[in-house]
Amino acid sequence: MIGARALRGAAGVAGFLAAGELVIRFGLGADLVFPPPSAVLAGAVSLLADGGFLAGAAATLTNWALGLLTAIAVAVPAGVLLGALPPVERAVMPVLEFLRPIPSVAIIPLAILLIPVDELMKVSVIVYAAVWPILINTLYGMHDVDPLAKDSLRSFGFGAAAVLARVSLPSAAPFIATGVRIAAGVALVLAVSAELLAGGAAGIGVYVLQASGGNRTDLIMAATLWAGVFGVLANLALLAGERRLFRWHRVRAGALAS
Amino acid sequence: MARLPHGRVLAAGIAVVLALAGCGAGGEPAGPPGGGKGLEKSTIKVGALPIPDPVSLHLALAKGYFAEEGLTVEPVTITGGAAALPQIESGALDISQTNYVSTFMAVSRGKKIKLVADMYQAAPGAFTIMVPKDSPITTVADLKGRTVLVNNLRNIATLAVATRLRAAGLSETDVRFAEKPFPEMGNAIAAGQADAGWITEPFITANKGLGFRTLADTMTGPTAELPIAGWMATDEWTRKHPRTLAAFQRAIAKAQRLASSDRKEIEAILPTYTKIDARTAAAITLGTYPSRLDAARLKKVADLMLEYKYLTSPIDVQSVIAAPPGG
Repeated sequence: MIGARALRGAAGVAGFLAAGELVIRFGLGADLVFPPPSAVLAGAVSLLADGGFLAGAAATLTNWALGLLTAIAVAVPAGVLLGALPPVERAVMPVLEFLRPIPSVAIIPLAILLIPVDELMKVSVIVYAAVWPILINTLYGMHDVDPLAKDSLRSFGFGAAAVLARVSLPSAAPFIATGVRIAAGVALVLAVSAELLAGGAAGIGVYVLQASGGNRTDLIMAATLWAGVFGVLANLALLAGERRLFRWHRVRAGALAS
Repeated sequence: MARLPHGRVLAAGIAVVLALAGCGAGGEPAGPPGGGKGLEKSTIKVGALPIPDPVSLHLALAKGYFAEEGLTVEPVTITGGAAALPQIESGALDISQTNYVSTFMAVSRGKKIKLVADMYQAAPGAFTIMVPKDSPITTVADLKGRTVLVNNLRNIATLAVATRLRAAGLSETDVRFAEKPFPEMGNAIAAGQADAGWITEPFITANKGLGFRTLADTMTGPTAELPIAGWMATDEWTRKHPRTLAAFQRAIAKAQRLASSDRKEIEAILPTYTKIDARTAAAITLGTYPSRLDAARLKKVADLMLEYKYLTSPIDVQSVIAAPPGG
């Protein structure tokens, strides 16, 4: 089954690329210039031997990882705390609901002005953007905890910390994991956007700026393709991690029930 | 035995703290400053665009001119002179490329910035208005009522086009200006979104390859040899780092002289810091690379800006220049 699905997916991608190649080569006319998929793929391969691009990709992925980890470290405890203390949540939510819809890319110019260290500026805007999905999902996870389970533990004399550790956190964990996966995608968008807007010493976005200044649309597309590949790989890795986590939960839940 | 790992961790922790403290002290001028040449700051971040204008930065790096001065320069790609202004103000960059129109507008708004070195000056054919091969537009006067693409509104592009329009008996309100990055201009015009574009290299050469033709050179008459781009720093930075600045200025001036004397040097270095290949580098039309800031030449930019109402009152160009000692 999985083999057939993968085959159909691959056929879809190949068909899409072939159609793109034909349209760009014969459909666009001589006046419009756009690199066909074959040129972009060739460019993407050539980037693997381009020291400037590799250093840039390393810089972007480092900022991305630092930003995502910081966002997890900030948003998960904040979400747990707000979820556990409803009065505080009611007091803080209006501010959060105001901040959350602001497009994260729009704060980059402000960050450039306020944060004098380039890497710190970039990590900060990544953290700002990545915090929201994790925080909101953690909150939902905390709301979703079975009140009966909490009451049972309390009636057996367990304290608040024990209830949190034994019921609330395990119950909210799948929600948190989903939040992290969504945040990973958002964080990559911000990591590249910050470079496109602010420039820098190295980065995928910085490489795109350089390719743009040299009129190399094929290299712009190739670098963009790699950014997309990194996003897909991160999503797959986190999805696999979530499945493992869920299985662990299922086993545990089954063990408790029997 | 059980205490040993803790002891090791503690020792490692102390070592890390000491190392970090050492780094902190090394970053700031304490006692005899770094470089052995009395520089206030021996490592500086310099912002520049990935285009031919700031070639002297990369020549000075490659030829070791900065190293001769005891200066370590870290090049940083910027997105534009105006965009780099907040970065020199915040301290993210020490020195940055800028264009003179942006700089003078910022100075007129009260920004405390100084020009520290010249970079790029217009030459014939380096900034042109281009139209597609089958365009009915054959003279600048034909642009009346048409859309002209520029890389930035209210900047050097619109100013340069305005001088051509005036020479043809039109004013800048007779055309519509629209903003578009240089790489996208050719396609936008071919797709009918606009009628002409103000274009510089390497895009002039690229669009010629697509059959575009030059309608007018925008760097003639009042704009002949117009200063285009220079290096800037904040007023505060220049006052705090006079020796670092002087070292930067000497190295850049030396590289500017090299660029002016031997085009082959430019062609060799362009492919290393831009994505312009060697063949294109040999074909493109370049401006010139003056080796000293000259208030009289820069005043031409300020005068044009005043004439075309980019400035509401005259500015004192000499006061914006942080000249190297003795020249």
